[in-house]
Amino acid sequence: MNGLPSKLDRTAVMWIGLAVFAAFCFALRGELRWLSDYPGTLVIPLAAWLNVVMTWFVSTFQFIFRGISAVMDVPMAAIQAALHWLPWPATMAVFTALAFRAGGWKLALFTFLSMTYMLVTGYWFESMNTLALVGVSVPLSIAIGFGLGVLSFRSDTARKIVDPMLDLMQTVPAFAYLIPILLLFGFGPVVGLIASAIYAAPPMVRNTILGLERVPPEIRESGQMSGCTNRQTFWLVQLPTAMPQIMVGVNQSIMAALSMVIIAAIIGGFGDIGWEVLSTMRKAQFGQSLLAGIVIAILAMIMDRVSRGLTDLERNLAYSQLPPKQRHGHWIVAGIVAVAAILLAQVFPELKVFPDEWIFHHAVSLWLNAGIDEIVRNYSAVLDGIKNSANFFVLLPLRIGLIKAVYPKFWGFAMTPEIAALYWGAAILLLGYCVWKGKKSLAIVIGIATPILFWGLNGTPWPVFIALVGLTAYLAGGWKVCAFAVASLVFMLVNDLWEETMRSVYLCGAAVFLCFVIGGSLGVWAAHSDRVSAILRPVNDTLQTMPQFVILIPVLMFFAVGEFSALLAVILYAVVPPIRYVEHGLRNVPAHVVEAAKQIGCTPRQILFEVKLPLALPVIMLGLNQTIMYGLAMLVIAALVGTKGLGQAVYLALGKADTGMGLVAGLSIALVAMTADRTIQAWSNRKRKALGL
Amino acid sequence: MSYLKQLTRAAVLGGAAMLTATSAQAAELGATGEPIKLAINEWTGQHVTTHIAGQVLEKMGYSVEYVTAGNYPQHSALADGTIHATLEVWLNNAGDIYPKMKETGNLVDIGPLNLETREGWVYPVHMKDVCPGLPDWEALKDCAEAMATPETFPDGRILSYPADWGNRSAQMIQGLDLPYAAVPAGSEGALVAELKAAATAQKPLVMMFWAPHWVLAEVDVEWVELPAYDPACETDASWGPNPNEVLDCGVSPPDTMKVAWSGFADKWPAAYAFLEQMTMSAAEQQKMMLAIDQKGEKLEDVVSAWVAANEATWKPWMDSAMN
Repeated sequence: MNGLPSKLDRTAVMWIGLAVFAAFCFALRGELRWLSDYPGTLVIPLAAWLNVVMTWFVSTFQFIFRGISAVMDVPMAAIQAALHWLPWPATMAVFTALAFRAGGWKLALFTFLSMTYMLVTGYWFESMNTLALVGVSVPLSIAIGFGLGVLSFRSDTARKIVDPMLDLMQTVPAFAYLIPILLLFGFGPVVGLIASAIYAAPPMVRNTILGLERVPPEIRESGQMSGCTNRQTFWLVQLPTAMPQIMVGVNQSIMAALSMVIIAAIIGGFGDIGWEVLSTMRKAQFGQSLLAGIVIAILAMIMDRVSRGLTDLERNLAYSQLPPKQRHGHWIVAGIVAVAAILLAQVFPELKVFPDEWIFHHAVSLWLNAGIDEIVRNYSAVLDGIKNSANFFVLLPLRIGLIKAVYPKFWGFAMTPEIAALYWGAAILLLGYCVWKGKKSLAIVIGIATPILFWGLNGTPWPVFIALVGLTAYLAGGWKVCAFAVASLVFMLVNDLWEETMRSVYLCGAAVFLCFVIGGSLGVWAAHSDRVSAILRPVNDTLQTMPQFVILIPVLMFFAVGEFSALLAVILYAVVPPIRYVEHGLRNVPAHVVEAAKQIGCTPRQILFEVKLPLALPVIMLGLNQTIMYGLAMLVIAALVGTKGLGQAVYLALGKADTGMGLVAGLSIALVAMTADRTIQAWSNRKRKALGL
Repeated sequence: MSYLKQLTRAAVLGGAAMLTATSAQAAELGATGEPIKLAINEWTGQHVTTHIAGQVLEKMGYSVEYVTAGNYPQHSALADGTIHATLEVWLNNAGDIYPKMKETGNLVDIGPLNLETREGWVYPVHMKDVCPGLPDWEALKDCAEAMATPETFPDGRILSYPADWGNRSAQMIQGLDLPYAAVPAGSEGALVAELKAAATAQKPLVMMFWAPHWVLAEVDVEWVELPAYDPACETDASWGPNPNEVLDCGVSPPDTMKVAWSGFADKWPAAYAFLEQMTMSAAEQQKMMLAIDQKGEKLEDVVSAWVAANEATWKPWMDSAMN
């Protein structure tokens, strides 16, 4: 090479270097066993060390945490007692009035119907317990989040500590730290509260920081010039200006806290709706678990809309200008109904406890179960066909490689050396064609996919995988991201979790790919049709708010225990972000660009693929990021369907009460997530700048 | 209570002779003003056992509170005294947290529940068409291909317990030298869902399971006849049909245990004495499970009806505790 190679050439050199290194590793893995199996002697017993530290920590500081636990029990027990004491018509009246205030009569009607649903399904008692749990966990998450946010805004040192913590709080699955929290805080719903505070605080922290940072300096200075003390400037000037952004954080915190409430049920001690969902999942009673799951889904939707309505500035402004009679009318009506209900409940016990005869829970759940049975009975051949094709043509090649997956029985031919040569020949030809035509990204994709499909992720030596991830991270975000990615993978390697990690990467990878194909197409469709968009929105809401456990039962009934079921469960949850982000990205492509493309005579197809999609790419990549996060979050739940991998490792640790192993496995999931997140964010930011957005 | 005293208590309770001695003198009711908290786990059989105990305790003059608790986490609650007793701990699946807590002395075994249990490989009855030699285990050797799935091919598939319950099926497959692979189920719900689906769609399935279980009232299953369990089979390779491997035999029926907080016997002596006496019959439990899970009757009603009809069973336990 003469002189300094240009940037593009350097990239090409790196890819070729990687290819040579990979070929070298693949060739030598027969002789050098350590290339495929990391030697056991080099494993670091980090889990055992963590256990020693944890045992000491628990025995020394337990009393402090038990004290916190006792304090938190008080408000929760009080809310619970109040909700159980109130006759149900009174509770309904109060919540309907609140919904009316937040979102008008539509939201009020929705709330009223939802609460009626809780009554007639017989889940009133459990729902009130869940409300008590949420009633403490939400303020707790918001308070902690706000405090940490303000602290990080004011001090750079705090910021440096808090920032990486936030990532961990959001990506380490709660199951991984349930045992240590259980030992520290003691048995009971407080464990669930802590878990939900850990998970729900980060969005609040992030939005608080963002809001405060965005306060224009002029506003703060004008506050100081008019003689405010520092404290006054903060509370009376900065904070109110940052309020809209902070309220976004409040809303997101509420949703996150609610999604975590079900974790409280793993421990038990409270008889809430999450317990019902988990127990019925254990019994594989689809009908019952769906009925219970719907309660959580509608609670989430109500809380989302109500919290957004109550914090909507314009709405509040308009409301404050109404005459007093209109402003308080619904509260007066609710008050009258509540008082009447409390008085009448002394005479009519039906108002105190909703009578069993009016509950139709059992019949409906039997009907739902029969429906599932009917599908299983009549369509089992079809369902098996789908499952087997997915296994043979997608999952198995990806895991163990075509070299082992190609059986004459299913493929019609065996993997003879001639066929292998044909495969490689075709791949190399295709690769050469892409290079010649200048389609570099496509060439890279083919270059990576060909050997991985041939030998499978299982047969790929770990140095090759680490080098591949490292190079991708470097090209996307430079040395820092690369160092993080490599360090993360080395963490799993030295903790003897490599095989589990590869299993999880493979399952999530396949799921994310399929989510993008399915969700992306739906998103494109929704972007071009308002009707499709309107239909998809409630479907998305339901998929995201319904406890994931509910989905598992029909998936299991249809497709049995195995990787395909796990894959489906992950897809059903993680398909939502691609739909939303693709639609959002396409709809926000500047209209004048599309218009210009039309003027020069592009076909709709060309407009989509050559104009809209490339311009929407940064947004779509953020959707990819979210899909990966959702997929990894679902890993632990998918382990209930019987997958091997990091999710199962977390469960094993839970059963063994092995704190160290749980934390190490949980941390591994988090590190995979953070690596993907950093790489994609860096890439997306660069692309955004290049496109001038 | 000092640690030493707890240790002695545990040692005392361990001795069977001393057990009868405590129950003979335990006439006092103790702290009847404070509720006894009983754990409610995730399965209906345990609800039945617990509510029977609860109803009798109430007849004795105690107040009882039922607290939902996960199968593993409950042992931490028992060690704290947040929950006072749990009455149906399956020792084959108690989690490692149970022995850990027992070591601290804060949690003690009350005694066996004596539920007549069974554990082993089951299959829905239509499987006899797929594998005609069943229930004899040797018949499985010839049906491996019919029971293969893409993930296990060319081996047959046997569904085994979730990984965190230990993988006995895999050991048995190796011990008996069968051309099968054990696929862990992930959860109890997964086991039940597969059994129901296999019976409905007439698909082949052999899986590890246990009785009494409510789903067996809904789905007709038979048990694979394995070489009878013998302790020697676990250690001695020459024992059993396969001279080269251990574990070439069936599973010993799992024990069920009643477990309490260590302070229970001092606080409510008569209640403790009653719980020591109490046992549960699998046949009776199965009937009540069916009424609750399949017919949708209320747990409290079913148990009340049983208590009213079976005074002869529980009255002696109560009387010996009270006098």
